[in-house]
Amino acid sequence: MLELGRYSLWAALAFSMASVLFLALGMRWDREDLLRNGYYAVYAFFLSTVVAGAVLLQAFLKKDFGFGYVAENSAATLSTFYRIAGFWAGQQGSFLLWLLLIAVVAVVIALIDLNKVERLTGGAVMVLCIVGGVFAALMVLNKGSNPFVAAAPGTTPFGLNPLLLHPAMVLHPPALFIGYVGLSVPFAFGISTLLLGRGDKLWVLLSQKWAVAGWLFLSLGIGLGAWWAYVVLSFGGYWGWDPVENTSLVPWLTATALLHAFTLYKSRGLFKHWALGLAAATFFFTILATWTTRTGLIQSVHAFEKNSLLVWILSAFLIATAAASIGLMAWRWRRFASHDQVESVLSRDFLYYLTDLLLALFAVAVAFGTVVVPLTMNRTVGPTTYNAIAQPLGVVMLALLAVCPLLAWRKTEGAELRKTLILPLVTAVLSVPLWLYLGFQSNVWGFVGLVVCGFAVGAVIQFVLRAARRAAGPERSLWAGMGRAFTGSRTRTAAYFVHFGMILVVAGLIGSNVYKHEATALVKVRAGQTASIAGYTLTYKGMTGNTGPQDSTRSIATFAVSRGGRQIGTLAPHTDVYPMSGAAVRAVILGRPFEDLFVVADDPFDSTSTRIALRMVIFPLIRWVWIGSILLCAGAAVSLWPKARRQQQEARVAEGNADNGDAARPPGATA
Amino acid sequence: MNKKSRTRLLIATGVIVVVFVIGVVFLVQKQGAYYRQVSDLTSGQYDGKNVKVGGKVLDGTINRDAGGVHFTIQDLTGKSQTVKVTYSGQMPNTFDSGVDVVVIGKYAATDGTISADQLQTKCPSKYKAQASTAPSPAAAQ
Repeated sequence: MLELGRYSLWAALAFSMASVLFLALGMRWDREDLLRNGYYAVYAFFLSTVVAGAVLLQAFLKKDFGFGYVAENSAATLSTFYRIAGFWAGQQGSFLLWLLLIAVVAVVIALIDLNKVERLTGGAVMVLCIVGGVFAALMVLNKGSNPFVAAAPGTTPFGLNPLLLHPAMVLHPPALFIGYVGLSVPFAFGISTLLLGRGDKLWVLLSQKWAVAGWLFLSLGIGLGAWWAYVVLSFGGYWGWDPVENTSLVPWLTATALLHAFTLYKSRGLFKHWALGLAAATFFFTILATWTTRTGLIQSVHAFEKNSLLVWILSAFLIATAAASIGLMAWRWRRFASHDQVESVLSRDFLYYLTDLLLALFAVAVAFGTVVVPLTMNRTVGPTTYNAIAQPLGVVMLALLAVCPLLAWRKTEGAELRKTLILPLVTAVLSVPLWLYLGFQSNVWGFVGLVVCGFAVGAVIQFVLRAARRAAGPERSLWAGMGRAFTGSRTRTAAYFVHFGMILVVAGLIGSNVYKHEATALVKVRAGQTASIAGYTLTYKGMTGNTGPQDSTRSIATFAVSRGGRQIGTLAPHTDVYPMSGAAVRAVILGRPFEDLFVVADDPFDSTSTRIALRMVIFPLIRWVWIGSILLCAGAAVSLWPKARRQQQEARVAEGNADNGDAARPPGATA
Repeated sequence: MNKKSRTRLLIATGVIVVVFVIGVVFLVQKQGAYYRQVSDLTSGQYDGKNVKVGGKVLDGTINRDAGGVHFTIQDLTGKSQTVKVTYSGQMPNTFDSGVDVVVIGKYAATDGTISADQLQTKCPSKYKAQASTAPSPAAAQ
């Protein structure tokens, strides 16, 4: 079976290169037959990666520990769910999953285009096949990246890293990879349109849905990672500004900017260079994320071994990506000139631009601090620095997010603007008592940020009301228009949800970062001993033991939690001792409406311990981060939902009119 | 694009970019921790500065009180210098005597102590190769 896996990787490499050759020539000479042959090669590329993936999956399912990779990332005692997760628990399988996803996307795009055979699409599939080829080459050439290497004789299956035994961690890597691959589609179409010198908006229409899907999964991946860090990693937080976290945030920031740039490109023909640049930057940063994680050049809690061939291939790929993007953009610069302009500062156009600019700057700053500072200055920057950048910027961007949809395109009249801002100002004032009730006056800047959140909520309500009023027209009631406001435009409905979700996330981030407080206590192991924080009292009840996952020995210390003399729950922090990997303390969380009480032991303990070093942390508003993230993803999903046939026809007509028939295909056709 | 509006946009962009870049560079200069060895600290040059040092936790030096955890680490390059560390944050699971750690924090030359605000345990090699050491967080991703 190992041979089959290895050969199918070679086949994937060969077929991806074959399709690149056919597609490149077909694109150059405008030959439909060559493009079509390229697509057939893509099918073969896809099938070879499916075989490779199936071989590895069956090895995990059948516990075939003859596979070195399976022995390292699985064990006979693991459940099927976690055996499947072993597939992407290490570097080799992650690369294979990535390759598989690229092949899936390439084949779907090729299948949709097979009847029409468009040069632009052919070029995009070619770029995807180059990316796929690089990953295939990486696995074939670098032994450490190949999942089909035999286990050394006498290897005992190691099992999954116990920290990964959590559903969020099973779903986190594939979500990130789907996000990365989805976001490589706009890059592929961008390169293709640059090669062809097509300054129209077809490439945007064809890649927008992929970009939204990529953004959705990347958001989901980051959210799951943060949640996992919070509940499993037990470091008393959900975001540590760790290099690996940062490098997944950077493409998310540029992708967010890209989605906004696409809207401007599509509707106004503005900032075309921004859209191209952001598509390229997003892809570049996804590869940079892999480079940072997998090459181990940048020290991180996510430790990986140094591997020189891997470093070389990934570095060369990064440089080639940047050089190709910059070179092509310089070559075709004039063809993508805007045929419109930003007239006024008080216009939606300008605020879109400002949003894109700030997101891009934020992304560059995080990438600079994560990669450039350690590599060139021999220094490192930590959470303090990142927070100092992120906090003010986040509040400014939230204000932009609030005001932007309320402005008109081109120019907003002052009187009209004042009228629309009344409601947001009212909600801002109304939010003040809530923040005071929660005791947030202790930090001025945090308070300002939260009041801006209150303002933004009113702005979103105003956004919905305005759409409803417009839909209702002069005859019908506002209520009748409400339905249309939600069903009229998918993008707008998505914006309500995403924007509202983002407000919740920001409020939650402010609450749980600025107002987080913690206390430690050494509790003697004797019933009745107490520890307290901010009105909560924890009373030690006793210690029990049982068996945890992967044959670990679990010691559980039980505490009763009371507040104001009333018992509100029990918390049982525990220590798991794994036969293969040692002791790990696990945190427990007591959720309250406006805050979480997070409790973890600072040191491993067992029944022989005389005292427990208890750490208690209060995270105000943290649940808003999770709820907001869900809304954010739901919003993106809404905009991906296929349109009804009638709407699709309407959209087609509208687009045909707007773009001289160039964009006869609706954006939905790619999904 | 109309010339006047284009110039205005470029100026606005320029101002924002310049302010932002100055802010970031200033923060990095002020807060960025120097990556140094324990033996580099004795020169006094890093008094009051943020440093990031790796070291081996010496046996019998780990002390815990209400103010946090105190321990001493020794240079990793074979030199004999040591430095005291005070840390009050969450302990990594693998922390123990004899473990290699990386600490980031402000160094005070007067009492030869680093007040660490970050503490990471360094795994000597990939976790799976050594069944005795605990895993580093998140091998996946």
